Amino acid sequence: MCSEDRIALMMERAKLVQAEVSRISGLDAAFDYVIERMRERDYKTLAAPNVDPADAFRLEDRCRKAGIEWVASPLRNRMRNIQAALTMADGAIAETGSMIQISDDEDVRIATMLSELHIVCVRASEIHQDSFAVAHMLRDRMAAGPGYISFITGASRTADIERVLAIGVHGPLELHILILEEARS
Amino acid sequence: MIETPHDLSAYHVQIQQALNNPFLRTALGNFASAYKISRQKAFEGMDLQRKRAELASAKDEALKHLPELFERFRQQAQAKGTHVHLAHTAADACRIVSDIARENAVRHIIKSKSMTAEEIHLNDRLEADGFLVTETDLGEWIIQLRHEGPSHMVMPAIHLSRQQVGTLFRQVTGQPLDLEDIGRMVKVARSELREAFLTAGMGISGANVAVAETGTIGMLTNEGNGRLTTTLPGVHVAVVGIEKLVPDIDTALRIVEILPKNATGQLITSYVTWITGQTTCSTNPDGKKIHHVVFLDNGRLRLAQDPVFSQALRCIRCGACANVCPVYSKVGGHTLGHVYIGAIGLILTYFYHGTDNTRAIVRNCLNCQACKSVCPVNIDLPYLIKQVYRRVLDDDREKPIKNRLVSTFMKNRTLFHSALRAAAAAQKPLVDASKGVIRHLPYALLKPEHHFRAIPALADTPFRNMWPSLRYRLKNPTHRVVLFVGCAVDFVSPEQALALVKLAIAFNVQIDFPQRQTCCGLPAAMMAEEETAVDVGIQNLEALDAERYDYVLTLCASCASHLKEGYPRMLRGKVAPVRLEELHRKIIDFSSFMVDVLAIDSDVFEKDGKRTAYHAPCHLCRGLGVTEAPRKLIDLSGNTYVPCPEEDVCCGFGGSYSIEFPEISAAILNQKLDHVQQAGVDVLVTDCPGCVMQLRGGMLKRDEPVPVRHIAEIVAERLKLSQKPS
Repeated sequence: MCSEDRIALMMERAKLVQAEVSRISGLDAAFDYVIERMRERDYKTLAAPNVDPADAFRLEDRCRKAGIEWVASPLRNRMRNIQAALTMADGAIAETGSMIQISDDEDVRIATMLSELHIVCVRASEIHQDSFAVAHMLRDRMAAGPGYISFITGASRTADIERVLAIGVHGPLELHILILEEARS
Repeated sequence: MIETPHDLSAYHVQIQQALNNPFLRTALGNFASAYKISRQKAFEGMDLQRKRAELASAKDEALKHLPELFERFRQQAQAKGTHVHLAHTAADACRIVSDIARENAVRHIIKSKSMTAEEIHLNDRLEADGFLVTETDLGEWIIQLRHEGPSHMVMPAIHLSRQQVGTLFRQVTGQPLDLEDIGRMVKVARSELREAFLTAGMGISGANVAVAETGTIGMLTNEGNGRLTTTLPGVHVAVVGIEKLVPDIDTALRIVEILPKNATGQLITSYVTWITGQTTCSTNPDGKKIHHVVFLDNGRLRLAQDPVFSQALRCIRCGACANVCPVYSKVGGHTLGHVYIGAIGLILTYFYHGTDNTRAIVRNCLNCQACKSVCPVNIDLPYLIKQVYRRVLDDDREKPIKNRLVSTFMKNRTLFHSALRAAAAAQKPLVDASKGVIRHLPYALLKPEHHFRAIPALADTPFRNMWPSLRYRLKNPTHRVVLFVGCAVDFVSPEQALALVKLAIAFNVQIDFPQRQTCCGLPAAMMAEEETAVDVGIQNLEALDAERYDYVLTLCASCASHLKEGYPRMLRGKVAPVRLEELHRKIIDFSSFMVDVLAIDSDVFEKDGKRTAYHAPCHLCRGLGVTEAPRKLIDLSGNTYVPCPEEDVCCGFGGSYSIEFPEISAAILNQKLDHVQQAGVDVLVTDCPGCVMQLRGGMLKRDEPVPVRHIAEIVAERLKLSQKPS
């Protein structure tokens, strides 16, 4: 499967689980997307724990201009007040529409679990066909030392009451996926 | 607290309560139909049979090496800062977890869903030791608040209505709540439990898989509570059945690939979490999580070495065996299991929760094979259930009367057949000849719960007595077949065999009927009377002499499936292997013989036949894997096949099952008959005389009953006698 087909499959499968998926030119466009979605929802706090500091300052700047509070690490002090989170994925699985997130840093987990809106960026070049295609990466990571890796697919959900689907249980109410066209620098 | 009846009479009371719960039946009925569709969709385009076989053999391989895998996991995980424990008993496991909580000065514990923790009743122990325990999976939280056990392994609260949950949440929060608004109820749980996540000192989780090569545990969750439970508190304890160990990440990914699809029809759960060693946790002084993995033996290590039962440990807890079980869909999990529910529950209860909790529930299996057909790791669940039943009988050392009768009569063919003939004579005054059923029986013989169907009368003359005058010899037959007629056709419905003989002569097929054949032995096997089943099996094998024929032809799907699949298993080592192989290869059902072997042409049948509904017998569609031939045959024979919902769901007969559990049998049957009557057909056909008895018996109790026939009869009827097939 060529990379365009994989991207198309990724988008289709992620939408099946109510994720919002967009293709986007680069990080700055992603930052604009975050600010816009937050403005629509009137969210006032943002955490972005694994965005490269070299880029994060531009997002912080945009937040300041938009009247959004930048929640800095450690997030444990602010667990009751993270409305939105922007995180970087370490890859994706097209077949299931899943984001792969190496979240050894607990701040990544706190941000992706306690926020109401989770926006996650993945590079188009890092979308894999299926989970077996990342088996060696997982093995290497797990063998190397302690770690916490998540596959995230859609927003948190339940069907525990009368099998009626409800989105947003303990984790985020919304998951937005941004597919970045630019390669890792 | 979970209370499972220890005897049949208490069990019947519980069953009746479940059947009287209309919400439960509607909810489970809707679920059963929806599940099949979403599962099929989830596996679209996948070679599922291959994947199942691969996963089953990967699990078997792992089960052979559990001690080594445990050692590998322990080394790997300990090197990364995890404390690894092996608890030999449920009590040991509870003590270990409780000690960890005490050592870390924990007061409040949060839990994400773990069947293994349910198995060892961990909450009871922790609460007795003074800890506050909060379940965080929505379904588990609901049943915790209600002091109940789970009624499904994946959906623990599926037995409850939104109104029940809403009322419960009103009591818990003291706030008003719209009893229809499920979305609102989920929000209540979110806000109530969020505080628990933020303040608890310890999190307990299960694990779906434990990867030995890296010391990693894998968890599948949807709500996000699993990630929160393992992230926020300073201490994380995973309680894991030792059979969850797999050698490598590749095997683990196979389980992740199959489990959610088979459980709920999801391609994957919202979260798949892989935890290796001590991860970061800033709440602790050293910034590292205190991490324990407690592996539970509780009999598993011994079970893994058992030649018959080790396959039960392949189970990945998807719950599919309950999803498709017709009994489950009528009575729910609280009535079909102890902690573990559904087909696998009937088996595991014996090993984890003892004979008393197994005694009654283990009998509640129709042997319809639906569970086996969806098990993602190919566990032969119906067979293991019968084997557990046998163990229970042995433990109790007292056999039910019906078992003693079966073993006495069935082993001796002459005695068995004379008894049936004597019964045919004795029943005469009670028979309604126009319908072929017993008109009435004294109440002493039959309690009112058996009145859901008319009881078929035994035939005046069994087929075996007609045969001497029917016997024929063809000069150049296209095929030579030996007929295995089966007791139900022989003694109750010989007209079905007469229809077959008419067709055989018309299509130039030579039938032989050896008189020394007897009951196939399935009823004995169903009652766990294996010695008797083996005895009659050997008698039949010798009588049929399959080597001399092209096919062993059957009219009864149950007999056919037992001869084909049951005999090789039961008789292995007791007879020459070649005899078993020949029989296995040559067994064929009526419809497949007509359509696939004789390739009959529709020209030889009268057109414009009846609108015909079809019931797929369990032992034909799942036992023998025959699904297309009968439906084609209906159309080929000039009738019109009219599809009905849930054609492949059991009719509720199950031989002695319908006598032991008439109330459930009736509920299953009635749903089937509703579907048929709503389809507006002229006739209902099937290819098993047992199903015919059940379906016809039920129809005769209804207004405007649809006639029920064996498929051989409606085919024979439409044969153009003037035009002999070439």
